[in-house]
Amino acid sequence: MSEDTAKILIIDDEEIVLDSCEEILDSGPYRLATARNGADGLRLLEEFQPDLVVVDLKMPGMSGFEVLEQVQKSQPTVVTIVITGYATVSSAVEAMKKGAYDFLPKPFTPEEFRLIIKRGAEKRALLLETIALKRERELLREHFASIVSHELKSPLGAIQQNIYALERELAERMTDDQARRCDRIKTRIGDLLNLINTWRRGATVDIDTIKENFGPVSIDVPITKAVESVMLHAQRKAIDITTAVPQPSGVVWGDEGTLTQTLVNIIGNAVKYSQCDTSVAVAADQVNGTVTVTVTDTGVGIAEDDLPFIFDTFYRARSGESTESGSGLGLAVSRRVIRAHGGGIEVRSTVGQGSTFIVTLPAYEGEPPEPLAAAGTTKSPQEGPG
Amino acid sequence: MNEQKRLLIVDDDPDYVEGIKGILDSAGYETDVAYNPKEGFEALKSRHYDMLLLDIMMGRGAEGVMMARKLRKDPDLREMPVLIITGIRDQIAYLFPGQPVHPGFFPVDELMEKPVEPDMLLERVRALIEAAEARKQQAK
Repeated sequence: MSEDTAKILIIDDEEIVLDSCEEILDSGPYRLATARNGADGLRLLEEFQPDLVVVDLKMPGMSGFEVLEQVQKSQPTVVTIVITGYATVSSAVEAMKKGAYDFLPKPFTPEEFRLIIKRGAEKRALLLETIALKRERELLREHFASIVSHELKSPLGAIQQNIYALERELAERMTDDQARRCDRIKTRIGDLLNLINTWRRGATVDIDTIKENFGPVSIDVPITKAVESVMLHAQRKAIDITTAVPQPSGVVWGDEGTLTQTLVNIIGNAVKYSQCDTSVAVAADQVNGTVTVTVTDTGVGIAEDDLPFIFDTFYRARSGESTESGSGLGLAVSRRVIRAHGGGIEVRSTVGQGSTFIVTLPAYEGEPPEPLAAAGTTKSPQEGPG
Repeated sequence: MNEQKRLLIVDDDPDYVEGIKGILDSAGYETDVAYNPKEGFEALKSRHYDMLLLDIMMGRGAEGVMMARKLRKDPDLREMPVLIITGIRDQIAYLFPGQPVHPGFFPVDELMEKPVEPDMLLERVRALIEAAEARKQQAK
């Protein structure tokens, strides 16, 4: 609707009411359409695309309630106002329950009618504005993510690529100290690039979208892919990744890609926070309709004070002798993904001895499962924003 | 390497190009550069290359994908190995988890994320050229 002309559709079987309404609103910033019965009214709803529908509850043929229901169903952002001839509160209340914005008992004064229309038009304007703002916020979020990705990542990547090249070209001529500093530069830029990648994934994981792609996923598939993905990092640290997955493994209802990403994150963390020459154990199991994946490391562990917060956005545990840096985003995103699958994620940890992450997912047994009753009841009561 | 291999880099970011070219040159490859798909295609038509290193996001969008597709329709160039070097790998990985290559590409393609570690780059380049030569031998 344009700022100053609201389109109003009035549905009433009494011609005198329609005439008076037209008369009353004539001087206002409105465009009017009228219908003598519900069927005509609904036809006009499509043709006229009103902002407001004013409907008499008591009409021969289709009742005002039915019209109301149809309007709610096909055009939920259209604001509806009911006129009630029998000045009973109950029918007005029922109409409001069915989604009417307000009601006007007959007989009404021109002033009352003008006022209720004015308020209705304002309500409609607010509704439209809210929808527009929501859409804008979504767009901004997506664009921001791609701007960050392109405008920050590209130059950083180009810098890194040149350091790689220079390091090789100058290999013969660099002193040990220069080579070491070169290494540091690579590491720091690498950390920044990882941060951007993780951050962008966090900003772009759209839970509703991943649900559209849900299907049966045999849990050994994302586990195998995730282990493969972190293998290089583990080998560099001489960390052995063992897997214990029964065959056939449990099947869950979900999205293989995001489940893989989530496991990459959790197993990757286990590797990241483990000392060299240790091992990380990945195990899967299915008990009573619940598929469980556990990832156990013997790494630095997480302090008790930190445990409640580790799934929060941007939270990074300070304690423990962290040897590598993280973005503080991975677990927050992981939890959102697991929750979208109707599951939960929790952690047990002792500083200096290691951590165990336990992911539980409802098993798929021929039809999409109900979320686990315990879903989300992790040891982390606080929910991070977004 | 018995003869010097000639590679073509197509990427619109001159800094990236220099970084990648530096690594390839120091490993003894002959490398030419084109800064957009049109120039790149002309170069490929004008002389023999053993391999193409191709960026995806160029110009107004995924022009690299268009170039790869055009290449696959060209009878002279369809067997040319292509190493796709892109900044958007994780988006592709997200869409096609666990698959090294976008399904829209071909078996002779590989995909790496920018920035590329020198050892990995050289390893992939060597492997792709070898695979292409083995295919050629078989065809004979």
